[in-house]
Amino acid sequence: MSHNISDTPVSKEILKALRAERKDWIAGAAALARENKKARKAVMERLAAASATVPEIAEATGLAPDAALWMVASLKKFGEVVEAEKDGSFYRYALAAEAAQAQEA
Amino acid sequence: MDSSKNAVFDAVVIGGGIAGLQSALDLAGQGYKTAVVEKDASIGGKMIRLSKVFPTLDCASCITTPKMAAAAHHDNITLYTCCDVQRVEKNAAGVSVSMIQRPRYVDIDKCIGCRKCEYNCPVLVPDAEQGGFSGRKAIRIPFSNAIPQKALLDVEHCMLCGKCADVCPTKAIRYDQKPEPLAIQAKTAILATGYELSSVTGKPQYGNGDIPNVIDSLQMERLLAPHGPYGRVLRPSDGMIPDSIAYVQCAGSRDASMGVPYCSRFCCMYAVKQAMLLSGSLPLADITIYYMDIRAFGKNYEQFYQNAKAMGIEFVKAKVASLDAGQGGAVTVRYEDQTGEGATSRDHDLVVLSMGVLPGFAPGGVCPVGLGPDGFIQSVLPKMSPAVTDMDGVFVAGVAAGPKDIVDTITEAGAAAMEAAKYLTALSGKAPGAANKESAHE
Repeated sequence: MSHNISDTPVSKEILKALRAERKDWIAGAAALARENKKARKAVMERLAAASATVPEIAEATGLAPDAALWMVASLKKFGEVVEAEKDGSFYRYALAAEAAQAQEA
Repeated sequence: MDSSKNAVFDAVVIGGGIAGLQSALDLAGQGYKTAVVEKDASIGGKMIRLSKVFPTLDCASCITTPKMAAAAHHDNITLYTCCDVQRVEKNAAGVSVSMIQRPRYVDIDKCIGCRKCEYNCPVLVPDAEQGGFSGRKAIRIPFSNAIPQKALLDVEHCMLCGKCADVCPTKAIRYDQKPEPLAIQAKTAILATGYELSSVTGKPQYGNGDIPNVIDSLQMERLLAPHGPYGRVLRPSDGMIPDSIAYVQCAGSRDASMGVPYCSRFCCMYAVKQAMLLSGSLPLADITIYYMDIRAFGKNYEQFYQNAKAMGIEFVKAKVASLDAGQGGAVTVRYEDQTGEGATSRDHDLVVLSMGVLPGFAPGGVCPVGLGPDGFIQSVLPKMSPAVTDMDGVFVAGVAAGPKDIVDTITEAGAAAMEAAKYLTALSGKAPGAANKESAHE
């Protein structure tokens, strides 16, 4: 909440009023953002160790396999994770930065 | 592209899907000032969300995107997105449309579609545009080929943290935008309000949406799309490459218990199309279609169906009785095989329900247009002029009048535009370009 939003043409008073008006939505969104952050961190840490399949990520992070896949797909969309090689019936996923480094090497 | 609060047009098209865009382009091409009113944040309707189209297997986006861009850049077309129509009524001047434009919380004139806001937003929520299979941010461009390419803030998932406003290079974020009432006056209107799929939660025997790896056909379109959630077809429960995929036909239509007794007409063909695409992307997978009847009614459709059979797709004439969660993420399909085996069951890694087609617009209390018993807009001259409704000067195009495929939708949209143009010509006594041509001759 510490970001400077004074650049928007909305006064501090209006923002204060909006925060009061949208209190429940803000609380829900903040809880969701915390969950996202935790899940993202866990997935990124696992992938930093080595590429992994969705069941391996799920096992390492404690996320349900569908939730692990959802987070991987979301991270892939925003360019943080890439699909790596096929491993049996699954694909492995890797951190985009490390995959790029490996390709350069 | 600019929309104003109270505007006057020759024609208003309600619905910015392929039918509405085709009608609007045909009218605008004849010189008529046309407004397109769309409920979503982007025009393009269902078609822009599809992977490919049958029976040619052309890329859906390659057909739809040029029409979207042409409409967005046409001098005679004004787009109104994020609009909920409140009232469509006849008056002395023609047709008036009152609507509420939902706020984007972004200044559409300032937003340059750079997506910096999206990359920096900390809140991820399931992305309905990707079948819920991946996340989207609270602020985002709706999808990669959306038109307009403008950001949209989902205020119910916004923390008001200010990161988007911080990074926006044009200072376009407007947290305090409010819904805005808009009014359009036109001489004629075309209703091109499309359809919605019936819900997977409507049939307890098929698991009410609670069985993992049971998805609907539009979700499969996203899995097959080049920029789909996974970039390939994977099982949503664990990312496994499916070895066995089944289609359950008539899962939400021809079923009085779901309130959809009619045939949705194009499900057979899209199931065949998806099965062929799957067979291409997963050559080793077994693909089965459980069907009551195959309706291959259009030009080259029967050949398309025969090609699918020749490719090894298995067609089982059976009504699926129920679905259950099986071992290891499988789905158990219980069915009565009408060709001899009787009641039996089989496990599949992924099951696609071909859901029914429901009207996309409930005009009750909004527009006094006549409806058929199926809830779709009634055509009063179904054989001679299918676009004509019981409201003088109000025409219908596409699936708004009943389930139909894209070919018929586009043809009918052209017909609706011609009916509207005829109506406008009769009103004014001359076509819009006629005055210019006459003066040029003089």
